[in-house]
Amino acid sequence: MIEKSQLVKDMQALLGPEKVISSKLERYTYTYDSSFLSQLNEYYPDVVVCPMNTEDVQKIMRYAYKNDIPVTPRGAGSGQTGGSVAVKGGIVLDLSGWTDIVEIDESNMQVVVRPGIVHADLNVVLSSYGLFFPPDPGSSKMATIGGMVGNNASGLRAVKFGNTGQYVLGLEVVLPDGEVMKTGGLHSRALKSVSGINLTSLYVGSEGTLGVITQIRLKVLPKPPVRGILLTLFSSLDDAAATVLEVFKNGIIPSGIEILDDSGIKAANKFQPDLKLPEAEAALFFEINGSKAAVDFEGQQVKEIAEKRASVVEWATDPQRMGKLWQGRAVIGAASARVKAGATRIFCGEDVCFPMAKVPEALRRIKEIGAKHNTLVVIYGHIGDGNMHTAPIIDPLKPEEVEAAHRVADDIHQLALELEGSTTGEHGVGFTRSQYMVAEHGKALEIMRIIKDAIDPKGIMNPGKIWVER
Amino acid sequence: MKTTYQINFAEELKKCVRCGECRANCPIFSESKREPDSPRGRLALVKLLQDGKIQASAELSEKLYGCLLCKTCAVNCPSGVITDEIMVGVRDYLDDVLDRNIIKKLVLRGFLTRPALLQASFSLVKLYQKTGLNDVLTRSKLIEHLPETMSAGAKILPDVSKRLARGRIPEVVKPYGEKRFRVAYFLGCATNLIYPDVAVSGVDVLARHGCEVITPAVQCCGMPHLAYGDTDTMVQMAKNNMKVLLSAQVDAVVTDCSSCSATLAESYQKLFEPGTVEYNQAKELSSKVYDLSKFLVEKTGIQPGPNPVNVTVTYHDPCHLKRGQNVFKQPRELLKAIPGVDFKEMKEADRCCGSAGSFSIMHHDLSMKVLERKISNIAASKAAVVATSCPTCTMQLSYGLKSHGIAGQVVHPVQLLAKTYKIVDYP
Ligand SMILES: Cc1cc2nc3c(=O)[nH]c(=O)nc-3n(C[C@H](O)[C@H](O)[C@H](O)COP(=O)(O)OP(=O)(O)OC[C@H]3O[C@@H](n4cnc5c(N)ncnc54)[C@H](O)[C@@H]3O)c2cc1C
Ligand code: SF4
Ligand code: SF4
Repeated sequence: MIEKSQLVKDMQALLGPEKVISSKLERYTYTYDSSFLSQLNEYYPDVVVCPMNTEDVQKIMRYAYKNDIPVTPRGAGSGQTGGSVAVKGGIVLDLSGWTDIVEIDESNMQVVVRPGIVHADLNVVLSSYGLFFPPDPGSSKMATIGGMVGNNASGLRAVKFGNTGQYVLGLEVVLPDGEVMKTGGLHSRALKSVSGINLTSLYVGSEGTLGVITQIRLKVLPKPPVRGILLTLFSSLDDAAATVLEVFKNGIIPSGIEILDDSGIKAANKFQPDLKLPEAEAALFFEINGSKAAVDFEGQQVKEIAEKRASVVEWATDPQRMGKLWQGRAVIGAASARVKAGATRIFCGEDVCFPMAKVPEALRRIKEIGAKHNTLVVIYGHIGDGNMHTAPIIDPLKPEEVEAAHRVADDIHQLALELEGSTTGEHGVGFTRSQYMVAEHGKALEIMRIIKDAIDPKGIMNPGKIWVER
Repeated sequence: MKTTYQINFAEELKKCVRCGECRANCPIFSESKREPDSPRGRLALVKLLQDGKIQASAELSEKLYGCLLCKTCAVNCPSGVITDEIMVGVRDYLDDVLDRNIIKKLVLRGFLTRPALLQASFSLVKLYQKTGLNDVLTRSKLIEHLPETMSAGAKILPDVSKRLARGRIPEVVKPYGEKRFRVAYFLGCATNLIYPDVAVSGVDVLARHGCEVITPAVQCCGMPHLAYGDTDTMVQMAKNNMKVLLSAQVDAVVTDCSSCSATLAESYQKLFEPGTVEYNQAKELSSKVYDLSKFLVEKTGIQPGPNPVNVTVTYHDPCHLKRGQNVFKQPRELLKAIPGVDFKEMKEADRCCGSAGSFSIMHHDLSMKVLERKISNIAASKAAVVATSCPTCTMQLSYGLKSHGIAGQVVHPVQLLAKTYKIVDYP
């Protein structure tokens, strides 16, 4: 076993001292991501390194492989599962400074980027080419593309545009032993390929457990020129769900359909008082984008469908109003805390996904779970695909409230399994959900482990995630 | 952690959900790209300290001093975490428990409370600047306490004006025509020493807008002390300034410096416990404090003179004016009211320029990186003149333009307005 001080010296020698963070104080800032559980534990990495090219990563991996040292890749640390936290110590690779756009291949509708580039920054650059990378997590301003691939992130517009994986054409990966592999074809610029077993999709969502992603080739799309937002308020959750179903049945796929429950509506109003959402059991935000004619036509259709059941319907195309409405939804994740003075929201049990038809039942059951544990739970999410975000609002300084929040999270995860859903729709497993994996996957989890062991026989890549340690 | 600065660390810190959104907003993080330099990272370290898991140390204070106090994180935080105020509070604490850095102490406690010494210190630095490595500094052993980059930082300081504003401006200036307001002009240190013409123009313009202007003998507002955690000294200054300004029987206290107005209007209240006499005084003072542009736009209305000022102008928002006091429309309105001015909005006009008082001297390299982005935005605006409402921003931007070989002038908006009249200089 290498001594920690030796490890630091060796990293400095390999990469140069400016790429190595070793003081205990600074390492502390790598012990968390946004998951509540990571904040209750102090999983210190032994060293943090900031590689800036593939060779750096290779050097680190060869060294780690030889010396059996755990390696945890990290993007912005905006994940909600502790995925980028070194639960077994070792080396954290902070990739968020490696932000290059290697190539924008406009005529082939693709870009090649390094892992650290932030989602929103990439889209700013792409927009000057009339292009965009469609998945849009609420964390767009901080999440890195590497982290999005690591977790197969999606977001508010997944209904129409799907998740990150649908856009990843190929990856450069440094394997646990330091070798480099390219998936999706060595020289391919094809937008479609079924050549061989799809290793790209194996790596998408693998949460840093199979290697370090050092380059990403992404398919991009023409940026839709026009959008409109329809805000609707319902006095019953069932009416909201029925409206969504009817919209789909009419052949309309909005780019996003978002829901806030009554507590979510309160939080949005508190955060942005000029929103002035009236009280209701549910608010739905439909986003429609595309050509002007399509947006006008579909917007009108959705409006008419919504008017059958909604108490309030507002169709906005004014950019300022749209921005306000959509932002009210986008920031709700962190703003939920505003509903209760002295309390804060925490991220745990936050990403369950239900079958569409069971969303109203699920929301009612989540409220019951909250009541049972005497915990206020704000609910919002992507009703268009059943992916619900639940935010326990607690005073983290009160141990009994923390304890209750853990029970709420556990019950919510169990509920997702009971209702034939998933414990996570987009955030991933990390170490916060690994305990549910056997129940969720059965035999399939064993096969995942076999694949993992084949690629990473020494188990040095992000240990302690996805699988409960044997 | 007990501090003079009124802040409840536990309650404020628990609001941070560690979402990381502030990584997108912090000008320091966007240069360094390392978590310890992010607002979230700094808050995590303060939480460790608050929880008693670490002790105050030089390393910790270096991290926590690496913040510009620009408020960008705070105004954008979805959870309402007031990171900049937490940084001010924790510096207050560190100042009490740690050995103070000699240079900071000297500059702040000694010099700023005694204007004569401040002038001497500027001259000293100027001398240092001219001779490279000056033996006065060496012999006084001060040099040992100057960070390596300070020698470069000292270059930002412009020449100290020979004709300081105090002394040039009469104690009482009568209004042109009928008196509409009686106003106290709060003459800040940097304006007085480095940009005295701004104050001369400011006072004259106020008088032209029907104000009787007094320029009372105040001390430094205390912002530099606050930024370095020296609240003991600041409390004394605040008490003195409140006494002087509240007894002056004025309708308003006006200043050209956004740090001074932010300090007088916001920070003084944080120095005293609610309910105390001083707290009430701070509240009363706060209601009277105006940024110069705001006062002219909202209280007197802009009445420009007849002479056009044919120039393209862009405006840089000082952090403490836009995010601290929500004043950003008024300086633009003032500029647009000036005949001949062609106003061009620059990209990211409200992004910090990296000066943050003495930050540019103490953390020179980082500050220069932040400045670089500002300068390229200014250059892209193609404006010949940059207007801004803060002397330290003016210093930083002037240095940036010069070092990038860009011809361009940095002025206070009121200086352009003053050009529309036949300007009166006081002897
Ligand atoms: C307020 C808020 C809103 C959010 N909204 C959404 C949302 O709408 N949709 C959504 O999907 N997510 C959302 N998230 C979760 C999170 O932002 C995403 O999971 C995001 O993709 C994480 O990116 P990151 O750069 O922060 O990665 P990190 O958290 O640093 O890492 C995530 C995982 O990826 C691995 N990883 C990172 N980089 C690499 C690499 N180069 N190679 C291999 N593995 C790597 C890490 O080991 C880790 O397992 C939200 C988070 C917050 C705080
Ligand atoms: S300070 Fe605000 S924006 Fe930054 S991590 Fe904390 S909650 Fe998020
Ligand atoms: S106040 Fe400015 S410099 Fe300081 S942490 Fe916040 S954004 Fe960064």
